Amino acid sequence: MASLETDVLVIGGGATGAGVAWDCALRGFDTILVDRADLAEGTSGRFHGLLHSGGRYVVKDPVAADECVAENAILRRVIPDCIEDTGGLFVVTPDDDPAYGDAFLEGCRRANLPTEEIGVGEALKLEPRLNPGIKRAFTVPDGSIDAWKTVWALARGASARGARILTYHKVVDLKVEGDAVVGARVRNELTGEELDVGARFTLNASGAWAAQIVKMAGIEGVGVIPGKGIMIAMNHRLVNTVVNRCTMPADGDILVPIRTVSVIGTTDIRAADPDEIPVTQDEVDAMLDDGERLVPGFRDARALRVWAGVRPLFQDEKASGQAAADTRDVSRTHAVVDHVERDGVGRFLTMSGGKLTTLRLMAQDLVDAMCRQLGEDRPCTTTTARPPDNDDGQLYSLGARLRRREATLQEEQLICECELIGRTRLEETMRRRGTTNLDDVRRSLRLGMGPCQGGFCIYRATGILHGVGRLDGPEASASLRGFLQERWKGMWPILYGDQLRQARLDDWIFQGLLDVEHVPG
Amino acid sequence: MAVDHDVLGDLMRGSLDHCVKCTICETFCPVSNVTPLFPGPKYVGPQAERFRVWDETSPDQSLDYCSGCGVCTQVCPQGVHIAEINTQARAKLRERTGFKLRDRLLARPDLIGRLSTPVAPVVNVTLRHGGARAIADTALGLDRRAALPAYPGRTFQRWARKHTSPPAARRVAYFHGCGANWSEPDTAERTVQLLEWLGCQVDVPKGQLCCGLPAQSNGMFDLARKYTRRMARTLAPSAREGVDIVGTSTSCTLMLKREAREILGLDADADLRAVSDGIYDICEYLLMLHDRGELRTDFRPLPITVTYHAPCQQQGHGIGKPALDLMALVPELRVIENDATCCGVAGTYGLKQEKYEIAMKVGRGLFDQIADAAPELAVCDSETCRWHIEKATGVRTVHPIEILHRAAGLAS
Amino acid sequence: MSHHDVIVVGTGLAGLTAAARLAEGGARVLVLAKGVGATHLSPCTIDVLGYAPDRVSDPGAALAGLGEDHPYAAVGRDGVAAAIGWFTDAMRDRYPYTGGLDRNLLLPTAVGALKPTAVVPETMAAGDGSDPVLVVGFTALKDFHAPLLADNLSRAGIAARAVELGLVPEGRVDVNSLGFARAFDDPAFRAEVAAQLVARLGADERVAFPAVLGIADAPAAWGTLRERLARPVFEVPTLPPSVPGMRVFAVLRERLRRAGVRVILNAVVGGAERAGGRVSAVRARVGLREVTYGCDWVVLASGGFASGGLELDSRWKARERALGLPVTGVPTDERFRADYFAEQPMARAGVAVDRDLRPEGHENVLVAGATLAGAQPWREKSGDGISLATGHRAAELILGAAVPSEPARAA
Repeated sequence: MASLETDVLVIGGGATGAGVAWDCALRGFDTILVDRADLAEGTSGRFHGLLHSGGRYVVKDPVAADECVAENAILRRVIPDCIEDTGGLFVVTPDDDPAYGDAFLEGCRRANLPTEEIGVGEALKLEPRLNPGIKRAFTVPDGSIDAWKTVWALARGASARGARILTYHKVVDLKVEGDAVVGARVRNELTGEELDVGARFTLNASGAWAAQIVKMAGIEGVGVIPGKGIMIAMNHRLVNTVVNRCTMPADGDILVPIRTVSVIGTTDIRAADPDEIPVTQDEVDAMLDDGERLVPGFRDARALRVWAGVRPLFQDEKASGQAAADTRDVSRTHAVVDHVERDGVGRFLTMSGGKLTTLRLMAQDLVDAMCRQLGEDRPCTTTTARPPDNDDGQLYSLGARLRRREATLQEEQLICECELIGRTRLEETMRRRGTTNLDDVRRSLRLGMGPCQGGFCIYRATGILHGVGRLDGPEASASLRGFLQERWKGMWPILYGDQLRQARLDDWIFQGLLDVEHVPG
Repeated sequence: MAVDHDVLGDLMRGSLDHCVKCTICETFCPVSNVTPLFPGPKYVGPQAERFRVWDETSPDQSLDYCSGCGVCTQVCPQGVHIAEINTQARAKLRERTGFKLRDRLLARPDLIGRLSTPVAPVVNVTLRHGGARAIADTALGLDRRAALPAYPGRTFQRWARKHTSPPAARRVAYFHGCGANWSEPDTAERTVQLLEWLGCQVDVPKGQLCCGLPAQSNGMFDLARKYTRRMARTLAPSAREGVDIVGTSTSCTLMLKREAREILGLDADADLRAVSDGIYDICEYLLMLHDRGELRTDFRPLPITVTYHAPCQQQGHGIGKPALDLMALVPELRVIENDATCCGVAGTYGLKQEKYEIAMKVGRGLFDQIADAAPELAVCDSETCRWHIEKATGVRTVHPIEILHRAAGLAS
Repeated sequence: MSHHDVIVVGTGLAGLTAAARLAEGGARVLVLAKGVGATHLSPCTIDVLGYAPDRVSDPGAALAGLGEDHPYAAVGRDGVAAAIGWFTDAMRDRYPYTGGLDRNLLLPTAVGALKPTAVVPETMAAGDGSDPVLVVGFTALKDFHAPLLADNLSRAGIAARAVELGLVPEGRVDVNSLGFARAFDDPAFRAEVAAQLVARLGADERVAFPAVLGIADAPAAWGTLRERLARPVFEVPTLPPSVPGMRVFAVLRERLRRAGVRVILNAVVGGAERAGGRVSAVRARVGLREVTYGCDWVVLASGGFASGGLELDSRWKARERALGLPVTGVPTDERFRADYFAEQPMARAGVAVDRDLRPEGHENVLVAGATLAGAQPWREKSGDGISLATGHRAAELILGAAVPSEPARAA
């Protein structure tokens, strides 16, 4: 069995893991990151895109609020290309208590969160699709953040400093020698080959799956509760500002404009297994009603895709001595689980809880804790260091791809028309990632994430993938079928109205015209 | 400055949800089929709109090549208001990037008409003078080869003021359009004569000015709204009295019937609603009468051959091609229906230096068909199209009512 | 209010067929449609029946095996044959078709599967068979991937290889099928293509092109290439816009024009005036106005869920948009299942009709095409067959039953 040696083994390639790898690499640690699938395939790639101002927590969870206020500002400085300054609104809907607005204002004041109450008329002018029956409105500095861009930027930054990022490498077992974790045995999911990774320290950044990893070190019962939430992406920006319901956190109370879509979310249901998170029809119906409350006519707008993500809620009785009834009552702040103290196992730390907005702080806390245990004084620089592609300090703007495309209108073929992806970029990404999986390409570029959900571009992309030499005929067809199957998962629960029309047209293309099902092999 | 976001305006943008990327609009787009400078209606409409934030400048200048012909909306099987989305997007783009002097002039036909009419002979000569046109081309961007209107030096309104329409059972109000007023008063006069022959008493509401269509097409929405509201106020009294309004400028009629409400967001204007509900393209109106058995059909034989091209904006009414049905009532008249989407001029589009050649390529098929038919006359419902076709083919091009006017024995 | 003998709703293959056949038979026809129909998206190979559920080799015989609820049941084998006869006749001068009900051809698809179909344009017929193939692609045409096609075809036991030409109309980098079709209308372009291929051809090779061989005169473009390459040549349909579909549309549209059929686009039919079981007029939203059109008969060919003729709202209620006819086949519990390639519970939803294509309670409304319940066109490979057969049948039923009010305009 092949083996690798490193200073730090990071388990988990979501926002937390990528942030940790970046922080470690900046501090001069040799780092290996492993994830059983593609980067951000877990929770990070399935979140709604809200860069919290902190407004959602000012009343109920002041610690989380403070963290968001600080980190929001820092992230805008260090990963501006991943963030759009959409601004945010908190609105008191007809179903909410206007008095909550006062508690909200007070909470914001305490947290130094800049907010302003504006007139309902002004709010409607800003966002014409908003429910005209809203009673109060407040502005906040929410933004939207692209998780994939973020994770990839951090990973590439770490990589540029020597880190090894190993996707599709699943941790099969942790190696324990005496009372310390010394690394892991890892399996390459694409080749089946196993690999031995030896590390001075192991950082568990696997989020909702943390308990599964921790078990491999012989530690039972780490209180990570997978909290399932569903989200629906709507075909276009119904709003250009993040809209939050001004009330105690509830289901379907945020509508986030992120890239070309607006995402409504979310729910919060305890899940037994983070890999078993089906979307149910009832959840979808409830979410559509929640949407109507914020934007009348929501049910007539086009839903593109529905998916479930799973939050890592940390509630460890051993650590904090409390239990909570509703997963919503669990604090959204994060915690470093010190396994020396808690379980007598060294050279191993787990990050739990948290949210994407605080990813940098989570990484900092985790790596600081590691440095303390190692007795090494290596300061954190992630409050100022910028990963690749974020150097010009410009925040992301929605028109970026349109602008880029305008410049190459006559020079480059457009492959994914909905998301404006040109052929050159597509081929480059396929080669760079060395992937045979169209879903990997989708995550990197948003291929097939527009209205037609790949109806037109996937045949083209399959042909290109085949041409770029990555696949033979049967593999290409298998990849195409796999993409269609994966896409269907997110489509069928919201298949009504315009999206049903699209699906039927796409059925005609894939089954009636191409007859993908009957390709040999 | 924010563009009006009323319900209908937002519905135009919201209709992008219906787009299933089928590309049918692109197969019909007369512009993208002849030039790569325009990426096509699907691209600049429902697709790019998802990348536009309403208070930021859209980065896609290529949108400006849309001619606004509206064919895309007509053929879209899913009901996306593509042309309307494009027109609104272009206005936002122009608001931010500024308006050329040329476009400001083109948006104000009454101003030009008022200045030119007293000195018409001079103006007409100048407009045909190579040197003057070359200057206009370089300084303003008005292509020297484009067909500009002529100014006969008399207006239709003056004629109408002196004309009394004999009382009759049916009353109609005539919306003549500023183009006819300044440049084709003959067409308008003959329209009145024909309507009277058909048994109508014709009111010509006074003070009719530009309806705002050129301003709208050039992205000057504030100016367009001003003009449209003014025109609506002028015609509303007729509508409220239950008098049907008929127009011979098919594109301007469409503006008041539908486009101003959808694109400019003027749906709440009561005058415009009243006018919109009661205005008809003249061929539409006459065919309606015919369907009711109320049209006089004793036309004389007219043994000539004519071609007929239905302009894009006539098709935008959604009434089929009533001109064909009407001309079929004229004995011995041979009508060859042209099979072309657009003649290319699209209002003021084809006059512009950066678009003239595109416009000529767009119209090539139509011009060839007309040449092959070698007709006595070419027939077309829109005045700017007539001037453009006539210049390109050398064939005298007239409004359908001229055919009926002749067949009614009214030509002197 | 205008009055026509028949109002046809829809301009897909079913609507165009019904309108053309009716006008031919002397009826005064008005066509109302939201836009241009699905001919532009479909290659218009007449797929009669490809899978039921196994691959069908004799579609005519296999029709009998379909249930009572299938749209073909209302037409019968003879009816389908008559429709095909009418269609091939209509196409003969401008864009000839070949094939019949006795044997399905197996034509390669753009991804290299072999698809059963019954009646196809001559420009595609040589795709049937197992002789070696040279697949020709164009680097500027992103909607067709010759190497992938060839690779998969080889695995089906047909020796196939690919070549990609860098020829590009007007020097553009991104040209769709229609752009290429216009290029192929130009003899100089055709000559250039032939010149680049002639030296690379194998002795027994057939030559496959994407379906872009001309739009104004496809038979001429195809014929020229066949001559110059001295090999069988065939087109392979690919992603929309479908050039072969546009050719069919052009022929049928011209037929309608010559017969004096009035066609109004951007008309959304949304109601009717009824007296008892008869519809006396149809209401449509045209622009911002509601217009009523009188009629003696209605042929509803507005398509299925793909075109919006049938709708499912966010509360899972299904509706037929134009006349509010009841929609059957939408389960209240499970509408779809997780396996994309399995038969979906909702797949056969549509408007149910009797033997005369009439929905219950309607004497003078006939339904044709994808609006009908009982079929799964994309899995059965039966879409255009159903549209053609039911559109034709609807016209025949009306012509048999009614005397036209006045002769149609002379061609």
